[in-house]
Amino acid sequence: MSADIKNDGDSKPASADATVSLPATGIATVERKEPPPEKEADTRRRTWIVISFWLIAVFIGLPIWWNTTTIYRANLPLTQMTDWADGKACEPVFPLRIALDVGSLPEQEAQNLLRLTQHALDDLNDFSGHHLRLQLAQAPAETITPVRDDSNVALTIRLAPGDAAHTASSSLHPHLPILDVQYPPNSLPTANSPSSGLATYIATQLESTFAEEQNIISYLLETSSITPEHKPKGISQEVVDTVSKRMTRSLKYSQTYHLTFSLFTNGPVPSSWDIEAAIDEYLKPVLDMLKPIHDFTIDTQVQLYAAPGVQSQVLGKEDLSSFINAAEWPLSPSIGGAPTVNFIVYIGNQTIGVPSETSPGETSQSWMIPQWGSVYLLAPPAEATHVSSETLKQPILTFTSHLLTLLGTPQSGSLPMRLSTLARIRSADLLLRAASSLGSLARLTLALPSISIPSNVADGVVKTIHHLEFACASLGGAQSLEHARIAEAEAERAFFEKSMVGQLYFPDEHKVAVYLPLLGPIGVPLVMGLLNEIKAWKNRRSQKLKAA
Amino acid sequence: MQSFSLSSLVPLLTFLVSFVVASAAPAADYHEQLNLKPLPQNSLLASFNFRSNTSLPEFEAHNFRFFPRSLGQILQHAGTRELHLRFSLGRWDAETWGARPWDGTKEGGTGVELWAWLEAESDDEVDHKWLTLTNALSGLFCASLNFIDSTRTTRPVMSFRPEGDHPNTTMANMHLLHGVLPREVVCTENLTPFLKLLPCKGKAGISSLLDGHKLFDASWQSMAIDVKPVCPAGEECVLQIEQTIDMVLDIERSKRPRDNPIPRPPPSHELKCNTTKPYHADDTCFPTDSLNAQEWNLNQIFGKPMLGNCPLTNPKTPPVCIQAPHTRDVFTSMGVEELTEPGNENQRCYLLPSNDEEFHLSLPFMPRDGDRPKTDADEFVQPATPLLYAERSLTGHGQEHGGVQAILTNPSPDAEVEFVYMESLPWFMRIYLHTLKARISHRTGSDAGQTLRDDDDVIKEIYYRPFLDRQRGTQLEIRMKIPPGSTVFMAYDFEKTILRYTEYPPDANRGFDVAAAVITILPSNSTTTTTARRTSNLRTTSMLLNLPTPDFSMPYNVIIFTSTCIALAFGGLYNILVRRFVGRDEGPEVSLVKLRRRLQEAVQKVKARAMERLGAAGKEAKKVEGKSD
Repeated sequence: MSADIKNDGDSKPASADATVSLPATGIATVERKEPPPEKEADTRRRTWIVISFWLIAVFIGLPIWWNTTTIYRANLPLTQMTDWADGKACEPVFPLRIALDVGSLPEQEAQNLLRLTQHALDDLNDFSGHHLRLQLAQAPAETITPVRDDSNVALTIRLAPGDAAHTASSSLHPHLPILDVQYPPNSLPTANSPSSGLATYIATQLESTFAEEQNIISYLLETSSITPEHKPKGISQEVVDTVSKRMTRSLKYSQTYHLTFSLFTNGPVPSSWDIEAAIDEYLKPVLDMLKPIHDFTIDTQVQLYAAPGVQSQVLGKEDLSSFINAAEWPLSPSIGGAPTVNFIVYIGNQTIGVPSETSPGETSQSWMIPQWGSVYLLAPPAEATHVSSETLKQPILTFTSHLLTLLGTPQSGSLPMRLSTLARIRSADLLLRAASSLGSLARLTLALPSISIPSNVADGVVKTIHHLEFACASLGGAQSLEHARIAEAEAERAFFEKSMVGQLYFPDEHKVAVYLPLLGPIGVPLVMGLLNEIKAWKNRRSQKLKAA
Repeated sequence: MQSFSLSSLVPLLTFLVSFVVASAAPAADYHEQLNLKPLPQNSLLASFNFRSNTSLPEFEAHNFRFFPRSLGQILQHAGTRELHLRFSLGRWDAETWGARPWDGTKEGGTGVELWAWLEAESDDEVDHKWLTLTNALSGLFCASLNFIDSTRTTRPVMSFRPEGDHPNTTMANMHLLHGVLPREVVCTENLTPFLKLLPCKGKAGISSLLDGHKLFDASWQSMAIDVKPVCPAGEECVLQIEQTIDMVLDIERSKRPRDNPIPRPPPSHELKCNTTKPYHADDTCFPTDSLNAQEWNLNQIFGKPMLGNCPLTNPKTPPVCIQAPHTRDVFTSMGVEELTEPGNENQRCYLLPSNDEEFHLSLPFMPRDGDRPKTDADEFVQPATPLLYAERSLTGHGQEHGGVQAILTNPSPDAEVEFVYMESLPWFMRIYLHTLKARISHRTGSDAGQTLRDDDDVIKEIYYRPFLDRQRGTQLEIRMKIPPGSTVFMAYDFEKTILRYTEYPPDANRGFDVAAAVITILPSNSTTTTTARRTSNLRTTSMLLNLPTPDFSMPYNVIIFTSTCIALAFGGLYNILVRRFVGRDEGPEVSLVKLRRRLQEAVQKVKARAMERLGAAGKEAKKVEGKSD
């Protein structure tokens, strides 16, 4: 035990003593003496004290601090989530089955025609996400129920021999998903022929029938968050523009929509209308067809003394957007989560000065407000106080077509076909939305390390992925829409979790201000004590080595 | 006055036509009426009443005509069977103005008050629906109704009864919830949605008189919305929405022009002085007591003209009525038909022509001197004495304890009054129920004017639901009976809670509002007339409770203070444990001492060298001197 060691251990108290007593001693240097050698037990005890202080700080203090200040972050399947968002987890493929009803043709020829048409189709179609699969119809086409059949047949082609003199012709059935094809009897392919005019004709017809759906789905994939290698190729800018115009108009998907029909008038009359009868007659049939996809609640109101936002007699194009007097008209947002679609009949003498260019068939009395609803200007009725059901026919029919547009229904084909297409588009849309929500959540989790993630978010994510898998597996089928809907709802709920929104934010300055007053005075003696102890221990070792 | 010609001013006093109020209402109808009632001290009570009905099947089918859709949708979504919503401001001065309009049933405590009967199977469902209802109404009326949480919600037992006609099957599942926001400031943003609910929207009819500037400038105002099912005998049930606005206008104040609203002292020649005073002179004036010859017209006091009739109302129902003595002069515009009821000569009603012309009504100045001097009795009908006077105040001092005293007076000389007194207190006011005491003083009878004495006979029944910290407030309902001509002093003590740092609202030093006590006067059994059998209400003012408020920079002070303490204690302990103590000359030199010593040594060295140099220089100088010699 040398003097050196003791000196090191005792440097501080000695200094305190010395500082206090120095003024009295004056300049004269004090005669230095060596302190008596310290006992071995004392040194060891001091070492133990320093060690135990550190043990307490590390094994009790640190865990307590960690437990009380740490933010709970549930484990999220981040890779799976990004996979979904990038489109790696699911290849959206819509196998569409098309039944070929050959009528009286013999089995052999029918099979042959089927094979050739399928070939022609595969040649025409370069988009892998949209498969058209032909099969022979089991039952006569008339008995097939229109939409959402379990057999999942999107379209039935009804072949019938026609006039030999004419070339093949086709027409879509106005009310059923049926394509009637009239063919000259001699155009049927022979058993071994590699191609057939009829088969090519049918394939082209099918291709054009489903062109719109294909475009929309390509567009959805194009604009979604998936990585470029999973996106379809060869979608023209023109198509993107037209489809995007239509898609941005349509409302966000929801299981239920509130339809609100309002009669607005600037004066005290008319104060009543036969809206119930008009809706029952003109709108209900369409709503019934939409039932598998959406639910609707209907309410109606009459609002008098409602001045429009624009008073001019002839409404210009820019007036149409400000016509709705949002400040005064009671068109309050709906309750209970479901969006409201507003249909307004405005009784007044105003007219629209802009010829409608997009759809010439439309009357120039109405216009649609994207994602919101539609307005119809109705001239004051002859019977001043009451609007009859007949007067409402044209408005309601206009609203019906606007409703279909607002719901995002494609424009070509018969209504059942459009609706089944709508179901497929919506499930693709929801699937992509849910996937991109998952991706956003994953990015958010990584970007904000201080955000807390409650366990129900993790639950929501797991549920979303579960339902996404189902939806992806049954794409194009009846179940997929339902699964996609649940997945989307769960993903949204997980993303917009309330406790995550109110994120606690402690800036670093704040932390320094809180910790420094405590850790400074405690940490410095602890660290210095430890350093001294290590130095002393090293000295002891070197002494021992020297002695040895 | 100025806007219509003098020739058209026809005093219609002699024009008496009896009329019968249409009693049977069709399924979907609309009714509106404005009642004007001059009050003492230059005040005017204006009661607007709007009522519309919708048949229940139409309501279920979501077809709305006069019933507002925005409200109907909320009611359906939240399973609300009956709804009462109140927005109030100011204090009803019962001493001067007498009994309240509508027997006090259409007013609320200061701020916003909401009570509703919800239909639900379980308590959880009720809470959920209540939450939906408050949130939706909060959005609709731009009020903070969403702040009515469990701590502000009570379920009154004795105070409220459903006003509508409910079938017995739904009655079993109906739950009453009541919530108050005494701190809410009612203002124009609440009036706008209120007017939007009306079919005529403030564009025609009496609602065209309503203006936020005048309404919220009133001495007292209350907006009420009541929705209830009504089943008239032998008719289809209807859902009725009744919207009411009552306000007491200070006539002088509301006559101020809108573009120049700042009150200025009148010029000296317009001052009304009491000339009997001995010191009355040109430059001294003692104001007279009564300056209240009322003189006003509709345009002036509401700031807007009334734009004709609302065409949806029954043309037989007069939209405007005035309650004034029949000797009071009233002028109206041309074509207006004046109706009086034979039994009630103090009420005059005005039937408007069906065109859209503005309606004018003016009460001219009636001279107090001259040939036929008029008195106060010609200005206004003496207000009826209310059944009960109530006031409530905080007592006690300090930051820890306090007390509440309610003074309840039965002014009637012969009838006793029975009522339920309901308090819903915040949880941070911990009341001691055992300190609840009622003392009584009789104004008449054998012990008149004697000092107060305790009386246990006053309180008949107590319903008490104690508070739970941060979960629910105190609910206290007391049924009392006060003998005629007596005053009851009811008092109880409470303790103030210290809140958590984050529980204080902004501007915590202002205090915490305590909701008004609701007093429901029960129909007395002695009187058998139908009017007296209805309950009537009154509310005390709300109180401002001061809680101990911390210094809000406290957390950092606390952190630094405790840290310093811990550091001191820890440092001392640690140093004693790990240091070795040796003699002063035995220890090593410390850096500071060492530094000082070195400095001193250096200084000495420099000094020594300088001395040497000086010495050398002296020698050299001497040498040079020697050479030159």
